[in-house]
Amino acid sequence: MANRLDEGIDSAGLGVRRGLAFVAPALVLIGVFLVFPALWTLYIGITNYQLTGPAAANPRVVGLDNVLTAVHDPLFTNSVWLTALFVLFSAVIGQNALGFGLAWLLRSANPWLRRTIEGLVLLSWILPGTVVAFLWFAVLSRDTGTLGLLLGSPETSWLVEYPMTSLIIFNVWRGTAFSMLLYTSALAAVPPSQLETARLVGASGWQTVRDVVFPHIRGHVLTNTLLISLWTANDFTPFLLTSGGPNHRSEVLPVLIYRQALEGGELGYASAMSLLLLLGNLVIALVYLRLLRRRA
Amino acid sequence: MAGITIAGLSTVYPNGVRAVDALDLDILDGELFALLGPSGCGKTTLLRTIAGLEGASEGDVSIGSRVVTRLQPGDRRVAMVFQDYALFPHMTVAENIAYPLRVRGVAKSVQQETAVRTAGGLSLGALLDRRPGQLSGGQQQRAALARAVAASAEVLLLDEPLSNLDARLRLEARTFLKKLQRELELTTVFVTHDQAEALALADRIAVMDAGRIRQLGTPREVFQRPADTFVANFIGSTPMNLVPRGSEIIGVRPEYLRPAAEGLFTGSVSIVENLGVTSLVTLDCGEDQIGYVVPEDEEPAIGTVVAVDAAPARVLRYDKETGLLVR
Amino acid sequence: MSPVWMVRRIGFYVLITVVLAFFAVPMLWLASAPFDAKPGLGPRWPDWTLSNVSATFDHPFTLSSLVNSLILCSIATVVTTVLAALAAYALSRVRMPGRDLLLYLLLLLSSVVTGTAAMVPIFVMMLQLGLINSQFGTALVIAGGMLPAAIFILKDFMDAVPRSYEESARVFGASPRQVLSHVVLPVARPGVATIFVWAFVNAWGNFLLPFLLLRDVGRQPAAVLLRTLYDEGGSANLRVIPVFSLLYSIPVVVLYLFVSKRYGFRFHGGVKS
Repeated sequence: MANRLDEGIDSAGLGVRRGLAFVAPALVLIGVFLVFPALWTLYIGITNYQLTGPAAANPRVVGLDNVLTAVHDPLFTNSVWLTALFVLFSAVIGQNALGFGLAWLLRSANPWLRRTIEGLVLLSWILPGTVVAFLWFAVLSRDTGTLGLLLGSPETSWLVEYPMTSLIIFNVWRGTAFSMLLYTSALAAVPPSQLETARLVGASGWQTVRDVVFPHIRGHVLTNTLLISLWTANDFTPFLLTSGGPNHRSEVLPVLIYRQALEGGELGYASAMSLLLLLGNLVIALVYLRLLRRRA
Repeated sequence: MAGITIAGLSTVYPNGVRAVDALDLDILDGELFALLGPSGCGKTTLLRTIAGLEGASEGDVSIGSRVVTRLQPGDRRVAMVFQDYALFPHMTVAENIAYPLRVRGVAKSVQQETAVRTAGGLSLGALLDRRPGQLSGGQQQRAALARAVAASAEVLLLDEPLSNLDARLRLEARTFLKKLQRELELTTVFVTHDQAEALALADRIAVMDAGRIRQLGTPREVFQRPADTFVANFIGSTPMNLVPRGSEIIGVRPEYLRPAAEGLFTGSVSIVENLGVTSLVTLDCGEDQIGYVVPEDEEPAIGTVVAVDAAPARVLRYDKETGLLVR
Repeated sequence: MSPVWMVRRIGFYVLITVVLAFFAVPMLWLASAPFDAKPGLGPRWPDWTLSNVSATFDHPFTLSSLVNSLILCSIATVVTTVLAALAAYALSRVRMPGRDLLLYLLLLLSSVVTGTAAMVPIFVMMLQLGLINSQFGTALVIAGGMLPAAIFILKDFMDAVPRSYEESARVFGASPRQVLSHVVLPVARPGVATIFVWAFVNAWGNFLLPFLLLRDVGRQPAAVLLRTLYDEGGSANLRVIPVFSLLYSIPVVVLYLFVSKRYGFRFHGGVKS
C-alpha cells in the first residue's frame, strides 16, 4: 500500500529527494569540519604525531600510551582539577545564581532600570573575546587597575596572584547573560495565578521561589546548567587573560591542549587530551538528553 | 462546475492509522456539502485528500469526469480556505486575493482588476491595501474566501470556515457564506464539528466517525431520523433521550416530547434550564434522566411529577447490540 | 510603609547597584582609554585627544585586519545561513527516513564537538590540505562549527510557520520553487535574520580558529590582530589597542541593537554559544 504520490506527502510538496538535496550541503560541511576531526582525534590520539621532527613525517601508533601518560601527568591532572573548579564556581554556581537572581529581581523592577541592566549584561556577553580580555586587564592589572584602586591595594596584580579566582569572576561576568535570558523566559511561563495564590496565602519570597517557581522551571535549570557547563569547560578565553600562567596555575584544559599541541608540538599527546575532553562533553550531553527525554 | 466522486478511498498515515477507510461518496454539482463529525473522525483528512494535500492509499477521487487522485493539488482545479485562513502575512489583501493568478503568470493588470472585483463582491473593497494582521477575524475570513473565489476553481473546500470567529460573528458569516455559495453555484465541501452549523448551512451532510460515513442525508433526515445512536447523540443542540427498553434503545428528541396525561416517561422534575424562548426540563425517571423542552412561562415547578409523550413517528427504536435504527 | 518594607527596598537597591557596578565598571575602559592622551591598562578620566585614532589608522595592519574580519565573517555567515535555512526547511517539512536520528545527532554534535576540543585534528587536517592561511578554508571551518546549532534554531522557527501557508499556495498551483520564494522565505525572515546576526556575531568574535589557522599577519582578522598588538615586541601597543577595540566592537553592538529593535530580543535556546 505504498503512497501513490511520490511527492507531496509533505506540506511543502518538496518530496523526499529534493528534501535530501536541501539537507546534503549542510551535512557535507558538518561532516568534513566537525565529524571527521572528532573521529580523527581518535586516531591522532593513539600516535606519537608531532608538529616537527621525525614523528611529523612518520607518526607511529603508540596505542593507549598517550592516554596513560596523560592520566599520570601532573600537568594534566592539575588542568582537569582547575577546569572542574572553573566550571563549578563560575558556571554551575556563579552564572546560574546570578542569572536567576537577576531574572527574578528585574521581573518587577521599573522598565528603565531593567533595560539598563539587561543591556549591560548582554553587552558583556556579545563583545568579542579579545576585547573583553582588555576590559578585564584594565580591571585587574597592577598599579592602574580598577579593582586595585577601589580596594586601595594598587600593587596587587590580581591575574598573577589570584589567577583562578580572577578567571572565575571574569567568567561570571562574561556568561551570566545566557542564564538571565533563559530564566527570564522561564519565569514568564510560570502562571501568574499561582504566584498570586502564593501571595494571597502569605508566602515569603523564598517560599514562593521554592514551592511555586522552582517546580515550573526545574527543566530550565537543568538545560541551563548543562549548557553553561559545556561552554565553560570548552572556553578558550582564559588563554587571552592568563595564557595558563603563572606556572600552570590557571591552565584549564583548552589552554593546556593548545599549549601542548601548538607551543610544544606534541600533536598526538594533545589529541589524547582532546579525546578526554570530548568524552567529558559527550557524558554531559548524553546525561542531559537522557534527562530531557525522561521529562518528555 | 463539477461534482466530486469518491470511490473506495482510504488514506492511511505512516503510523498505520486509517484516517479515511474505504469510503464511497458522491457530492453533486453545485451542492453545499458538510462533512460533520467529532475531532479525529477523518473529516479533515478526507477534505485534504480531495485537495491532494494527503496522498490516497487506495481508491480514487474524481472531480467532474477527471480522475485527480494522482494530480498535484495545484492541478486539481480546487480552491481551499484553511481553518486559520492561511492569508500570507507579508502580502496585502489585494496581493493575497490575486495570488492564484500570480502563480499562473497572469498579467499584473488582470491580477489587480480581479482582486478589486472579487473584493468588491465580498465587501472588502476598502481593505485592499491592508495586511491580514490589520483585519478583524471576520474580514480575514472573507479575504480568504475572496482568494479562493478568485482562483475560479471547480470545487471549493472549506476547513472549519467559521470556527475561528466569535459566536455572534459566526451567525453573520454563516448567512453570508450560504448566500455567496448560492450566487456562485459552486460545488462546496466544508468540514465542521459543529452540528448546528452543518444543519443550518448544508444541502446534505455526511456524519463521519472513525474514517467512515455513519449517515448521509439532508439536514432534516439526519436530525429527524439519525441512522444510529452515534449520530443521534451527535446531532441536536440538546442531546437526544436514549433509554434502554428490553433489547432496544428508545430515542426521542427533547423537542418532540410534550406533557401528557400519561405517556412514554413519567418522573419528577429535578432541573429546569432556561434556553431563551424555551426551557429544558429534566425528569428523574428511576435510573434514567429524561429531558424535554417547554415554551417559556410553561416551566413546571421542581418536584412536580410529570408524564411526557411524543407522536409515534417521533419515537425511534435502535437495536441495543448494533446501535442501528430499527424503526 | 512598614520598616521591614523600607529595609527590603534599600536592600534591593543596594544589590542592584552592586550588580550594575559589576557589569558596568569593566566597560569604563572602552569608553575612556580610546580618547586618552596617555592610555593605560586601567580606566581614568582621560586627557581628551583624538590622536589615538590617527595612530590606529596609521598602523599597517589595523584596517586590513578589519577587512579580513569582514571577509571571513561574510563567507562564514552566508554559508551558515543559506545551508542552515535549506536544511532546516527540509527537516521541518519533509518526512525523511532517519530524520529524528539525524536531528538527535546534530543536537549532540553541536554541543559535544567544540572548536576547542577538536582544535588539534582541525589544525592537522588544514595543515595537510595546505589550507593554513586560507581565509576561505578558515571560514568554512567556522561555518561547519556553527551549522548544527544554526539548523536547530532555524528548525524551531520553521516549525512555528503554519503549514497551511504552504498548503494554501500549493492548492492555488504554486510550484515548490514558488512556495519557497513567495511564501516560506518571506514568512521565515525574522528567523533567517536572527541566524544571520547570530552567525555574524559568533564568527566576528571567534578567536581560536583564525588564531590556529591563519598564521600570516596579513590575513589575520581583527580578533587575532588585537592579541598580536598586546604582545608584539614584548609590550602592549596601548596607543592603538583601545581605539582598535572600539572599532572592532562596534559592528557587534550595532547588529545587536538592530535585532533587538527590529525583532525584539527573543530568546532562542542556545543562541550564541
